[in-house]
Amino acid sequence: MKLLAITSCPTGIAHTYMAAEALQMAAKAMGLEMKVETRGSVGVENEITMEDIKEAHAIIIAADTNVDRDRFQSLTIIETNVQAAIKNPKALIEQAANSQKSVATINTPEQHKPTKTGAYKHLMNGVSHMIPLVAAGGLIIALSFIFGIEAFKEKGTLAAALMDIGGGAAFALMVPVLSGFIAYSIADRPGLVPGLVGGMLASQLGAGFLGGIIAGFCAGYIALWLKNTIKLPKSLEGLKPVLIIPFFATLLIGLLMVYVIGTPVKALMDIMTVTLKGMSSANAGFLGLILGAMMAFDMGGPINKVAYTFGVGLLASNVFEPMAAIMAAGMTPPLGLALATFIAKKKFTPEEQESGKAASVMGLAFITEGAIPFAAADPVRVIPSLMAGSAVAGALSMIFNCALRAPHGGIFVLLIPNAVSNLGMYIVAIAAGTIVTAIMISILKKDLPSDTTAKL
Amino acid sequence: MNIQDLLSASRVKFDLQASTKLEAINELIDILDADGKLSDKEQYKAAVLHRETEFSTGIGMGIAIPHAKDASVKEAALTLGISKQGLDYEALDGTAAHLFFLIAVPADSNDVHLKLLSYISRKLMHQEVRDSLLSAKSYDDVLAAFKD
Repeated sequence: MKLLAITSCPTGIAHTYMAAEALQMAAKAMGLEMKVETRGSVGVENEITMEDIKEAHAIIIAADTNVDRDRFQSLTIIETNVQAAIKNPKALIEQAANSQKSVATINTPEQHKPTKTGAYKHLMNGVSHMIPLVAAGGLIIALSFIFGIEAFKEKGTLAAALMDIGGGAAFALMVPVLSGFIAYSIADRPGLVPGLVGGMLASQLGAGFLGGIIAGFCAGYIALWLKNTIKLPKSLEGLKPVLIIPFFATLLIGLLMVYVIGTPVKALMDIMTVTLKGMSSANAGFLGLILGAMMAFDMGGPINKVAYTFGVGLLASNVFEPMAAIMAAGMTPPLGLALATFIAKKKFTPEEQESGKAASVMGLAFITEGAIPFAAADPVRVIPSLMAGSAVAGALSMIFNCALRAPHGGIFVLLIPNAVSNLGMYIVAIAAGTIVTAIMISILKKDLPSDTTAKL
Repeated sequence: MNIQDLLSASRVKFDLQASTKLEAINELIDILDADGKLSDKEQYKAAVLHRETEFSTGIGMGIAIPHAKDASVKEAALTLGISKQGLDYEALDGTAAHLFFLIAVPADSNDVHLKLLSYISRKLMHQEVRDSLLSAKSYDDVLAAFKD
């Protein structure tokens, strides 16, 4: 018979492990198989897997902290505190061994998989850590625009400082944090550093948040693999999570990012730049459509950057229409999402609803990144919705012959006389794109499973 | 990192004088502080006592492990006190405590120390380890007790 246990105490230094050892010793003496997951300050060790749950008869949760019981619905759960496990492990084991194994719910672990575990859980761990960073950084950038949309270019001013804080620091951390906490979720603490570094490289190589997601998963699984593969004598075991795994995993993910991800990203950008230049003389509405879709595809990633650079380049040649289309298309993703969180509350977690409010400010300020947490959490449904709305906004802006003379600023530039031509229709284009995105998201996104609503 | 670093000879006392729980904690903290491991003795003591209010760290089997993870700790350190006569430490099993491990961990402790502490904690659950510690006469005997 196989039994499981989880031990966890508030400080996580001593009792957790004493209880674990006590249970293991007692089980051994009684001739029973026992796996104990410890949740101490080192993190989760000897983690209970789905396989373990399938094979096990019952689980003893000896914890003075909160332990999520959802995973173990198919098992008899004996709940107690760590002291009881230290004091009388034998009685607990007898109780667990003599319990009736509940047969009815034996298949539940599989049904739980899609929402609670696996890739989705790792991704959400990254996204939920990134959300406050995006909100704080984006709002600080927006603050800088209040001093005038060009104010941050003047060194030493408060506007410049705000831009450094929001854009230079907070947004620079965005992709590393996303990637780092995806890897942390996969491999626990040893995954954090390779994840952060992989994300930083994704950011520096211009691979954007999609590159960051790839980096996070690769780094996490590399670290996990090293954690399980490298065997060291016990005296050196302590070096593993602080030195050996971070070093090798970071080296591997770094080389992978630079050589396997970085090179194709650059090649892709070069090809798209050439293609876009060839389209300069194409139908205006079509060009707006393409530019718009590109802006929303990866928000700050390579494809977005090609479109944006294309528009800024044309400003120098006194061609102002594509820039207008690009800004409109860059404003609608966060605006559309903000509207969606408002009209379809059921489909967003409370955290996402809050971040929708910040997204609306960022959308108005042409900070497309405000949409990233939503896109990263559910790329398959959100990204096409964003692209559709942005394509509409971009195409309409071109058709209405709107022109924009500044490469940033959002609503702040609209207030400056003559910065935008055909202002009324420009606002119509942005509103139309926003509505398209919001409606598409409301239709495509599924309702939240009721149990995750409270969780995030 | 090995046990010698975490539990140096200067922090092992074979004849603990205390006769009450509070005295034992004070005596151990004095040793730890004299060894320069604390930046704020009172703050650390408050943290240890606060931890005791959650539930007694007298885990039974003659062992007590007062501990705190706090910013007042400069470096992770163990202090061992052995009391031949034993004292009432409000143990889970009501028996007298003879072995006292005071555990000090800084707020930002690294995994190496924590792993070692978890290793020692696990060891203490074994009867033969406790017996060797109780009969230890020298620092070398203490180290030998924790050997695999």
